[in-house]
Amino acid sequence: MTKKHKKILRIIISIFLWAFAAIWYIPIFWMFITSLKESTLATSEFPPQWIPKNITFDNYKRIFQSISGISVFRGLLNSVIVAVIGTIAGLFVAILAGYALSRLKFKGRTAIFWTYVAVLAFPGIIFLIPHYFIIYRLGLMDSLSALILPSLGGTFGVFLLRQYMIGIPRELEDAAWIDGCSKLRFLFTIVVPYVKPALILLSLMSFLGYWNSFLWPLLVLSSPDKFTLPISLVRFNAGWGDPYRGIGTLMAGAFISVAPVLIIFILFRKYLMQGIYLGTTGKG
Amino acid sequence: MKTNKSNNFKETSISKRKSFRKIKNELGAWGFLMPHFIFFVLFIIVPLIYGFIMSFYRWSILGTIRYVGFSNYIKIWNDSRFWLSVKNTVIFAIISIPLVITISMLFALLLKQKLYGKLWLLIAFVSPTFFGSVGILTTWRWIFASTPNGLLNYYLMKFGILNQPISWFETPIRAWACIIFVTVWWIMGFSVLLYLGALQRIPPEQYEAAKLDGAGPWACFWNITLPWMRNVLFFDVVRQVLLAFGLFDQVYFFTGGGPAGSTRTMIYYLYTVGFERQQLGRASAISWYMFLIIFVFALINLFILTKSVKSAEG
Repeated sequence: MTKKHKKILRIIISIFLWAFAAIWYIPIFWMFITSLKESTLATSEFPPQWIPKNITFDNYKRIFQSISGISVFRGLLNSVIVAVIGTIAGLFVAILAGYALSRLKFKGRTAIFWTYVAVLAFPGIIFLIPHYFIIYRLGLMDSLSALILPSLGGTFGVFLLRQYMIGIPRELEDAAWIDGCSKLRFLFTIVVPYVKPALILLSLMSFLGYWNSFLWPLLVLSSPDKFTLPISLVRFNAGWGDPYRGIGTLMAGAFISVAPVLIIFILFRKYLMQGIYLGTTGKG
Repeated sequence: MKTNKSNNFKETSISKRKSFRKIKNELGAWGFLMPHFIFFVLFIIVPLIYGFIMSFYRWSILGTIRYVGFSNYIKIWNDSRFWLSVKNTVIFAIISIPLVITISMLFALLLKQKLYGKLWLLIAFVSPTFFGSVGILTTWRWIFASTPNGLLNYYLMKFGILNQPISWFETPIRAWACIIFVTVWWIMGFSVLLYLGALQRIPPEQYEAAKLDGAGPWACFWNITLPWMRNVLFFDVVRQVLLAFGLFDQVYFFTGGGPAGSTRTMIYYLYTVGFERQQLGRASAISWYMFLIIFVFALINLFILTKSVKSAEG
């Protein structure tokens, strides 16, 4: 094949894939387009319109009002709070623990590390019922901290960071020692930058995990002012019987839940592409 | 005497200082571990023990707690709804996993090629995997609407495949087809990323050498690509089995387990028992049954992690 042939073939494959990609992404387009229509119009118009006749932003305005006692905006706010605080807190405890398990010597280190690895074999579902009960006993039912605390005990982040930290050359540490660098300073000035790719991957996965979490908040949250974005979207039209009655507003809420993730994906796609392969296979 | 004593004193003070330093170091190390370790004990170790104990009790949030021995396990064993949910989940896994893996492989191979507008293709095929269930599934439910202007019904009628609008979650086969289709659409991206990562690690010389030997693209795929991908594919199968046994959201949004329990998965069954009927002890027992069923895959997962620990240390 000549160079020219190759180029033509590449153009053909590209065009074919673009067309397919457009079809593949229809749900996201349809979500956004529906969010620009009045719900009554969206459920009654025939045929379905790809370009709405009367574009309206009422659905987005409605998010700032309360709909049958539930404010989607409040849900958005709660979701941001939980995802940001949860990610930062999780990263903080995992960095410290990963450092202890990889660079510091103490009695029981090996035993603790292997316990950390072993519990990864238990599927998440095992923890659902006991977590529910523990949160109840701690009096944390229907609180935002109930969404964060149980995930802080997870060991995957610690495991991943430990895998990266163990590769830091000993000489680097010795040099820091001689300079009279304290452990904490060594950790934050040398170790943390060294494991940056793992940290970025962990924070992305953790943030998305909190942001998208559904079953757990569905179980523990009961009052509207504590709802996260997904729960407020499920709940605001739950009592109406017809799941499509508030479809315009629902799709506006859905789009607001998807848009930040899309932005994160576009901005961090390099890290995600590199990281997911290295991260999930445990840097093997 | 005097010097001896002072010498002695010196020695003990040195060794004391040494052991004091050692203790200080150990305490320091524990100080680093502690913030995580507290949560680890409270939300991993305690729940494991607690969950196991709970499964032998009649246990609800309100009401009395009573020891019932193996009664929970026996009642579940004799519950036909449980076995139906096991069957449903296993069938879902058997159909969806090969589908996701083949389609992801295809897309990864395509996206590895030099193409125009790759960013847009990546966004289209990969980004949905990072979207949350509520946004995605409410949208799909809207597309599956049973009215004539439901998007899917409308286009199938327009192209003459359907005569009249149908209700998509009405029969078990249709409901499963929708669940599986949406699942593939939704989770495929993650595998694509995983495979792209693995594909990039195959040395290009391998392909060049094969080309010189006159090997076609098909032979290259079987003799070079697939062997190089073996580990990552194996890992992905295990990951997806664990994922398939967690199937809940699609059922919750589309069918609620219906029609007649035909789409009720194990987690959905656990959810109904534990949270709609508030039988936490019984639900705990279900989760241990689930653990037994996926135990082998969990062990393989553990084995892979152990291997990666060795390779990071070595």
